[in-house]
Amino acid sequence: MKRGFWLWAAGLATYAFLYVPLAVVVLFSFNDSELNASWVGFTTRWYGKLLGDADLLQAAANSLLIAIVSSTIATVLGTMAGIALHRWRPPLLPFLVLTPVAMPEILLGVSLLLFFRQVLDLTLGLFSILAAHITFSLGFVAIIVRARLAGMDESIFEAARDLGATPWRTFTRVTFPLIVPGIVAGFLMSFTLSIDDFVITFFVAGVGVTTLPLQIYSLIKVAVTPEVNAISTLLMALTLTLIALALRFAPETLRKSA
Amino acid sequence: MRLALLVLLLALAAPARADDTLHLYIWNNYISPETAARFEAWCGCRLKQDYYSDNEEMLAKLEAGAAGYDLLVPTGNAVHTLIRKNELQALDHQRLQHLANIATAFADPWYDPGLRHAVPYATTVTLLGFNATKLAELGLPTDSWALIFEPAHLQKLKGKVTVLNSQRELMAAALRYLGHPVNDTDPDHWRAARDLILRAKPYWATFSNSTYIKDLAIGNIWVAHGYSNDMFRARADARAAGRPFAIGFAIPREGAVLAVDNFVIHKSARRPDLAHRFIDFMLRGENAADVSNLIGAGNPNRAALPYIRPEVAGETALFPPPETLQRLEMLRDLEPQQRRLMSRLWTEIKVK
Amino acid sequence: MPASSSRTDRSARLTRWLVTLPPALFLVVFFLIPALIMAAASFREPGEFGGLAPLAERGFSLDAYRFVLDDVIYAWILAKSFAVAGLTTLLCLVLAYPLAVLIVRSPKRRRDLLVLLVILPFASNFLIRIYAWMIILGPLDLLYSPVAVIVGMVYVHLPFMILPLYTNLEKHDPALLEAAQDLGAGGWARFWCVTWPLSLPGVLSGSALVFIPVLGMFAVPELLGGTGDLLIGNLIKEQFLDNRDWPLGAALSLLLTLAVLAVAGLSSALTRNRGQM
Repeated sequence: MKRGFWLWAAGLATYAFLYVPLAVVVLFSFNDSELNASWVGFTTRWYGKLLGDADLLQAAANSLLIAIVSSTIATVLGTMAGIALHRWRPPLLPFLVLTPVAMPEILLGVSLLLFFRQVLDLTLGLFSILAAHITFSLGFVAIIVRARLAGMDESIFEAARDLGATPWRTFTRVTFPLIVPGIVAGFLMSFTLSIDDFVITFFVAGVGVTTLPLQIYSLIKVAVTPEVNAISTLLMALTLTLIALALRFAPETLRKSA
Repeated sequence: MRLALLVLLLALAAPARADDTLHLYIWNNYISPETAARFEAWCGCRLKQDYYSDNEEMLAKLEAGAAGYDLLVPTGNAVHTLIRKNELQALDHQRLQHLANIATAFADPWYDPGLRHAVPYATTVTLLGFNATKLAELGLPTDSWALIFEPAHLQKLKGKVTVLNSQRELMAAALRYLGHPVNDTDPDHWRAARDLILRAKPYWATFSNSTYIKDLAIGNIWVAHGYSNDMFRARADARAAGRPFAIGFAIPREGAVLAVDNFVIHKSARRPDLAHRFIDFMLRGENAADVSNLIGAGNPNRAALPYIRPEVAGETALFPPPETLQRLEMLRDLEPQQRRLMSRLWTEIKVK
Repeated sequence: MPASSSRTDRSARLTRWLVTLPPALFLVVFFLIPALIMAAASFREPGEFGGLAPLAERGFSLDAYRFVLDDVIYAWILAKSFAVAGLTTLLCLVLAYPLAVLIVRSPKRRRDLLVLLVILPFASNFLIRIYAWMIILGPLDLLYSPVAVIVGMVYVHLPFMILPLYTNLEKHDPALLEAAQDLGAGGWARFWCVTWPLSLPGVLSGSALVFIPVLGMFAVPELLGGTGDLLIGNLIKEQFLDNRDWPLGAALSLLLTLAVLAVAGLSSALTRNRGQM
């Protein structure tokens, strides 16, 4: 009983730590002060202003689209890498997976820009942003999936094989259901990495293609008004809805085992 | 699934540019939305802006190969760099009817004699912004770099001062205070400047490029080393929020850094025609005045003066009189080996 | 039956390639090649106007490395950054572990929601969250201090500790704990002898995903830190965005990456030995 209590207390304290700044973000989106440093009074005018701000909304839509597409692809590739790391220990793969995580993002940004422009001669746009986001998220997914597989009882896979299951069948019926929580967690991590990235996106974003972080950083000096809090709040609400819907309508296997 | 694919394809196709769009790569908040809308209506085209918050960000991105921007707005030293790197298109003066509006003092700059590539747009001075009410209470001088460098003054300001997080700007302030030019490259003078900074550092709150406007307007910070247009903004914000104190700013009498920002056309520009139209539009007095009225920048355009609000035009820190102008200098780029030494000194400043 | 076994062999090999190749190829193209360009850059000289000096004129040089390695100040910054990363990782672990256990112990249908709640704050904007911390820390007189840097670092990286831990703890067999209880093990004993050792892969991967990105982070020290809070991430950023010294920036990054990989290799070697014991 006592131990249960301490566990709850500690867990809730961590949630509180996560949500106190968030409460400030949401609260201050209703603040009737352009300076937005201390509470002045309640207003919803920032949400009204936001709805008329085509640039900010376009940037938010871009960010959401990039985050969904890049984290989906990163999750698929990262899961494959995680499984490969665990099952076959290919010699160079750990290096390939870990180094992008270890590399300072500014270096990754500059090097990708050099590569896109001077090696591939590509016109920068959504594609370059997607490729960059997949690159830095992939390792996160691979590492978490491998951690999920680590120490798992190998005998299940052998049993499936002995029973004559094809590798594909073994994967869909045995491996996949077992690692679903790792995949979901990996997807969520890639999603937040992508939707929040400024440094790398700054370098690889093409002319006239902007994301929400780029747009917000452009306001950093002068006008971090409650409007920015408002769009942050809306983005969180939208994310919550999207993920809740995704979980609700996800394939049966995924839901059961998650 | 198919729908998602369709949406993706559409989104990927979207950046295929609309025909009459001028792409501007510019400082944050450097063209007011009103001016931009007026230009779009006048020209019948679209103006799309991407932003940087530092010349160096823009230069690094171009260096790595970014392309497709029609217009850039670099500061003098960055214009000089871009010209020497052959990154700019020469301007067609035939298409710039209003070029003569540029004031004589800015018409033949060292970084681009004869304005062959660049058209000056706005000027700022790196100076001191302060909480005038508080400083009057403390009886401190506001017209000298001593305010941020002398422990005797700083004792009353401990934890209430921010300085720019920029090695060149902070070193320039220290060099001027020590009586040297801002572009001095004598390593001994640099070391003396470092020592001056290290002596004052314990009294400072932080190095800040972005938060000092807010901190000043709120009252968290009493003195900030920063740009004149930012101080203008902080003053307006504090007034609008009804703070119980006034924000002031002044150019230190020892001299300071002047920045002249210019319109230039990048070599990769796809619409030099629109770029020229834009520059000429911005050269007209009534449009050129906006950057002073709304953003608080100084103005190199003499035809703009009649349109600038008197309280802005009368602000000597934004429109310095000739004797002050003589004490202002523009920064020039350093050689690679000098940059390394400067960076080494800066690292020491940051770590100690 | 040799025929059939060779067929399974072939299909096993095929599977292996099908699973390994796509991510490996992607990373070779979009990571390895660009990274090699930058690695090569670290052996060149800075260009007169930024970027790199023309190879034909200046060739390769070890100047950037000599500059870094000759000077104890850079080693000191690296050490300090490792200390900050270590402390951040430790605090994240302390905060994350009970939460991960709590999520795992809650009913299955509620777990998704609890996990989602961990990640949700991070769908808002990074800068906005940092500004929120400024609003909180300002009145506490903690803004622009090393404490603020650590708080910011922990906050930004916490989900990367919680999620791997949760993923790992979720698969533990409750029967093991019951067996331990039946054998008379108390709460702490059950934790130290059963849960903790089993969760080590989760702890390790979470630690890697916190420790490593902290080292490259420059925005948190820049916005929340005081006058002395320079970390290696800031130093690297300055070389590209203040000082136009790409070779030095690349050399610092390469040295940092090597140091990180060495630590990662060391810790995985240590745990492998532990596992065998």
